[in-house]
Amino acid sequence: MTDLSAIHEKAAPPTGDRKPARRAMQLLLGVPVALWQLAFFVLPLIFLVVITFWKVRNFKLEPAFDFGNWEKVMTSTPFQRALFYTFEVASITTVLAMLLAFPAAHAIALRLSEKARARWIAFLIIPIFSSYILKVYAWQVVLSPGGIVNVVLQWLGLPAVDLLGGAFSLYVGLLTLTLPVVTLILVFSMMGLDRNQLEAARNLGASGWQVLTQVTLPAIKSGLGLAGVTAFLMSFGDYASPVFLTGSNPPTLSILIVDTVKSGSQWPRASVVGVSMLAILTLAFVLVQVVTQKRKIGGV
Amino acid sequence: MAGFLRTLYLAALALFILTPMLVIVVFSFDANRFPTLPWGGFSLTWHREALGDAMIVSAIWNSVIVSLGTAIIATILGFCAAYLDYRYNFFGKRTLMLIIAVPPAVPVAILGMAMLAALSRTPIFGTPMGIIVCHAAIAVSFAMALIRLRLNDLGPDMEQAAWNLGASSTGALRHVVIPFCRPSLIAAFCLSAAVSFDEFMVAWFVGGVNETLSVRVFNMLLGQVNPKINAIGTLVLATSIVLVSIAQISARLGKPGKEAA
Repeated sequence: MTDLSAIHEKAAPPTGDRKPARRAMQLLLGVPVALWQLAFFVLPLIFLVVITFWKVRNFKLEPAFDFGNWEKVMTSTPFQRALFYTFEVASITTVLAMLLAFPAAHAIALRLSEKARARWIAFLIIPIFSSYILKVYAWQVVLSPGGIVNVVLQWLGLPAVDLLGGAFSLYVGLLTLTLPVVTLILVFSMMGLDRNQLEAARNLGASGWQVLTQVTLPAIKSGLGLAGVTAFLMSFGDYASPVFLTGSNPPTLSILIVDTVKSGSQWPRASVVGVSMLAILTLAFVLVQVVTQKRKIGGV
Repeated sequence: MAGFLRTLYLAALALFILTPMLVIVVFSFDANRFPTLPWGGFSLTWHREALGDAMIVSAIWNSVIVSLGTAIIATILGFCAAYLDYRYNFFGKRTLMLIIAVPPAVPVAILGMAMLAALSRTPIFGTPMGIIVCHAAIAVSFAMALIRLRLNDLGPDMEQAAWNLGASSTGALRHVVIPFCRPSLIAAFCLSAAVSFDEFMVAWFVGGVNETLSVRVFNMLLGQVNPKINAIGTLVLATSIVLVSIAQISARLGKPGKEAA
């Protein structure tokens, strides 16, 4: 027995004692993927920052170090409006998605049988990876003046409603995007809860509301943060719902980027918009991370 | 009562998720031009017309090439990254893992513009290869996550046993680690393919005239209501659902009784 465990402890990669070979293995595995991500992800983003300082002359990009683009974009009313609007839409979507997803996730994680829960998880994963633009289009035809909803209302003798092209259809679209992901994140974070602890709280006389606010929610704080950030990030950057469900009116930041890039060579200004968006998203992520982390340390 | 409300709420959520997909599929078989009620009778007209459309057919082929290329590259790179993370510690590891994990979190409009700006000066711009390299940089995140999850279950014993029996590092990798990871490699392959198949913004920006199916759908959506969209949408949805389902089933394989974990 002692011998065996001694062997066990000594076991290391056969090349492990020879540093160069171990190093070679690491390089072999690491260098291609590192180069790939650098070349096709990091460099493009750096380049994006760089061209915010470039100039456009005769419809051609010219290297420069000029803050003119930043000044132009930051002080332009369309940008400010789009920024405010996009922020508002993303915030509302985040709140709606969290409120709507929570009861469902709670039920799936804590009330359903193991088998039913596994089925729900599988069911929620599929829409995350299956054609969001088609689903946005489907809502477009469902909600349109001659669409399914209005036909049904007509059959029932009710007046037609104008559902398409406003806030309602926009949030239907954005919830189609965010609800499955947010629900899934909350399900996973609540699956980790100690059910005995929840039951103990109940037995000690806590009401359902008290258990929720004093036991459940604090315990899944980081999950709530992750779910919220994910919803915000997805709706903040979304392009399809605002385009197809409100007809780009008013435009969001993503629409601003796409229109600018597709309509000509004002890439520097589009890049300013993109870099600003990235800054806001990074800030939101760090902020939530700090908040959820701090409370966790303080609470436990 | 509480149980009834719970069931009702979950049913409403399921309905919300299923409605747009069902609308696409159901109305693709509708004889009417405009997808609404009443149902105009079963017809395969739109499917036939869609498959007779040269632009759609070439988009299908582009999508097949791009998805396969992306899946192959993302799976290989994802395995390297996952094993590297599982086995070694080295300087810069956190940064490396970050630049692998984070691309799907960047809004596609920004990613598309950045990749377009970077690739526009290279010969792969406007080719399927250009789309593949960009899609792989996004999909590798999912591939790594799936394979890394599987490696968690490998445990230190198996590899050590192989080493003790005289296997080399590469030998253990080839005969122990990779076979053990096979289900997750299949899952990573299918999910990467699904991610690529579904993505339209980056493909639209860097693909030039080479439209993938998602880009074709997007361009059709920008135009008039076209009943061919539902037919093509049914094909797109079916492909995505099959790929994601295979990925899910594979990811769960080899974990008897641990499905919920």
